[in-house]
Amino acid sequence: MEEYSVVGKRIPNRDSVEKVRGSAIFTDDIKLKGMLHGKILRSPLPHAKISNIDVSKAHKLKGVKAIVTAKDTLQKKFSISPAWADKLVLENQKVRYIGDEIAAVAAVDEDTAQEALDLIQVDFEELQGVFDPVEAMKPGAPIIHDSVENNISKEIHLECGDIEAGFASADLILEETFSTQAQAHCSLETHCCAAVCEPNGQIKIWVSTQAPHALRQRLSDILGVDASKIHVITPFVGGGFGSKIDLDPAQAISVLLAKKSGKPVQISNTRKEQFVATRIRHPTVSELKFGVKRDGTIMAKQARVIMDNGAYNSHGPAVLAYHNAMFSTLYRMQNIKYEGYLVYTNKNWGGACRGYGDPQTSFAQEVMMDMLAEELNMDPIELRLKNANNPNEITANRVRITSCGLKECLTQAKEASKWSKKRKTKSKYRGLGVASMIYTGGGSIGSGYNFSGATMQMNADGSLHLLMGALDIGQGSNTVLTQMAAEIMGVDPETIRLTTADTDTTFPCMGTFGSRVTFCAGNAVTQAANGLKQQVWANAAEMLEANSEDLEAKDRKIFVKGSPSKAVSYAEVGAASFYKKKEPLVAHGYYNGPEVSEDFDPISYRGYPSPALVFATHIAEVEVDPGTGRVDVIDFVAAHDVGKAINPLLVEGQIEGGVAQGIGWALTEGLKFKDGGIMNPNFHDYKILTIKDITKINPILIETIDPNGPFGAKGIGECAMVPTAPAIINAIYDAVGVRIKDLPATPEKVFKGICI
Amino acid sequence: MKKHQIRTTVNGEEYRLLVDQKKTLLDLLRDDLGLTGTKKGCDEGECGACSVILDGKVVNSCLVLAVEADKAEILTIEGIHREGDLHPIQKAFVDSGAIQCGFCTPGMIVTTKAMLDEIPDPSEEDIKHYLEGNLCRCTGYSKIIDAVNAATKHFK
Repeated sequence: MEEYSVVGKRIPNRDSVEKVRGSAIFTDDIKLKGMLHGKILRSPLPHAKISNIDVSKAHKLKGVKAIVTAKDTLQKKFSISPAWADKLVLENQKVRYIGDEIAAVAAVDEDTAQEALDLIQVDFEELQGVFDPVEAMKPGAPIIHDSVENNISKEIHLECGDIEAGFASADLILEETFSTQAQAHCSLETHCCAAVCEPNGQIKIWVSTQAPHALRQRLSDILGVDASKIHVITPFVGGGFGSKIDLDPAQAISVLLAKKSGKPVQISNTRKEQFVATRIRHPTVSELKFGVKRDGTIMAKQARVIMDNGAYNSHGPAVLAYHNAMFSTLYRMQNIKYEGYLVYTNKNWGGACRGYGDPQTSFAQEVMMDMLAEELNMDPIELRLKNANNPNEITANRVRITSCGLKECLTQAKEASKWSKKRKTKSKYRGLGVASMIYTGGGSIGSGYNFSGATMQMNADGSLHLLMGALDIGQGSNTVLTQMAAEIMGVDPETIRLTTADTDTTFPCMGTFGSRVTFCAGNAVTQAANGLKQQVWANAAEMLEANSEDLEAKDRKIFVKGSPSKAVSYAEVGAASFYKKKEPLVAHGYYNGPEVSEDFDPISYRGYPSPALVFATHIAEVEVDPGTGRVDVIDFVAAHDVGKAINPLLVEGQIEGGVAQGIGWALTEGLKFKDGGIMNPNFHDYKILTIKDITKINPILIETIDPNGPFGAKGIGECAMVPTAPAIINAIYDAVGVRIKDLPATPEKVFKGICI
Repeated sequence: MKKHQIRTTVNGEEYRLLVDQKKTLLDLLRDDLGLTGTKKGCDEGECGACSVILDGKVVNSCLVLAVEADKAEILTIEGIHREGDLHPIQKAFVDSGAIQCGFCTPGMIVTTKAMLDEIPDPSEEDIKHYLEGNLCRCTGYSKIIDAVNAATKHFK
């Protein structure tokens, strides 16, 4: 394998010094002169018509500087795709969940803003709500969106091969139903934005987002303002996990309030608002049917899935399609049938949430695999190896796989977990479980876009500046991407100046999601750095009267290979280019791939166009307390095919964090709803893992060197949590023989299972 | 709103302030003193992002009223460094890869400092007990434990 000087090294996050000193500025830390507090009036009812909104009393309150309602907007609906648009920034006809935005106030302080909200009189005509997607699909159920029959926002029907013949040829058929619960993202920083509108119409917004360039476009659409008049700035972002990709109504509202009041306006979610009025992981119910041969070969599989969309679409249609794409792509087989329904209910709307539907599909499919292995009297790892995907294959649903380390993930996780020994000689109430997964490792061009841009320049003094649209929300892309540029330019990554994710100064990037930044922005950055290197080398070759192919560089000096004494420095090349040749040294890189094949169906994501796919296997060891049903994860191995680990320290961090979220989803987390309202909107009642709940996680990095990835790298961020829950659920079964089919595996459910 | 005069020392600097009776110490630090390193993650005492050291004890500054800081000595994340250099705890967090988004980091470091001041050689149980109230959603805590262990070695 090629030796690199910077790539592959365990370099700490380049932003961490500011973060440990407390000097890193997040959006809520921005305090502008005269800045007002914005607050949003939200619906207290899950489903109601609005008959009147009266803001006159609130206007009279001292300290109130602006109030906005739907009248101040274009009343244009939005979603992540115009085809799915169903949500107004401020509703004025109807509210569809507890938390829906109705009006907003800007005032001199938070208390005044809150008092003003209390003075706004909204008259409602309450409508019957529907909270269960199965009920919502039935004829006669309350209709949530007028134009949507049976509340079905989207349905998918995919069939590959001959499903009936597949089942007919199977020796064993198993049918089971699985369900998953709503998860909250719980980034420690809540959603926050601060907007300024200049009298000349220029808009500046600081915002905690995962997608600044996309946000500029969405604000432009929703406000009817040319994108050239909008400047989106992202300070440090305190985590996202998918919750900060969409346009949040508060972002548009802050601009409207700033425009109306003539002052800067900041809106910062309280923790409760974060729970009740931002996106969640879609709950699902999945009926699965698998047919296998005695030797473990899967002959056919089918799924019927109902996904609870909540009140609005957001990413919902894409999450359902992705749920299908991952279900249908994992494991080799010819006969597949998938039927999926995305159904509106009067609850919080689902959105992108780490894994994008894949944790839900992985839970159902991987618990099913465990049950099949038991029926076949086969080792669950052997069953997976028997059906594992291979490199360079096209799947039945026409997905193109390049690099694939699934078999290596299975075998290395098996070895590291001491699977064979522990499964044979396990002590009472302890058990091991395995689960695998597939995910995109470079986003997808399914929406038509998968772009990322970068610029690299050398200054006249030989110093380097990298500008890129990609945004670091904590995952470490600033560090990883400068490592790539530094490797190409032969410099210490810390010496590269970096500008990122600013819509005024950087090329656009779609955003931080879909495990796409290392791959897509990495390809843009390496292209820009290679372009710059070519220019610098050409100039150096002229100065040295040599051929550019004969040159090499060390310590910012370029020389003919083997003759370091006769060298030109980067500073000399920079000065000669800028002042003598009068040519700037600058190169651009841009990625927007892969090519979309004719197999691609944008409804079902058949032929899902991902530039690279990643694979993983998790093995959990648990101990169950038979007296209470409490499950403790005592050992955890997570083997991931990452292509190439540009920075193993940061890759491990992604895996460890993802596994922790997965353990939470498996065991402790879940939003509890009553009549559409969330009963546990705080960290006391919604339990994310604490440091006391965590065991040492053993990440294993499998390097398959993807042919299209920068230095062979693929993504890691989202996939880190995908197979965690099923591995734990399978381990619980191994420990105490209790099969949990509806998440989370609370002590009550496990205890009841033990008692039966 | 009734206001109270308080005298308080923050990171070694003495302040005389007139504060609203219902203002929290967290808002005083962030809004009045511009010390925004202390973070507001929940404002209800559940996440630990607002941890500061008040008279030697770590507290959630969102649960302390500013008036309670009268005659108190407070240490925030901005006061942890040593004459401009990183404190060994800060350095251990950087080197161990214990930082992702960084929003919980100030609270984690402040709590670790309070723990090591009290127990210079903590067991893993001590570490988990002390840091239990500091939530992190990014790291899964593995590298935070590594960082605290690395910092502890320095203190030994």
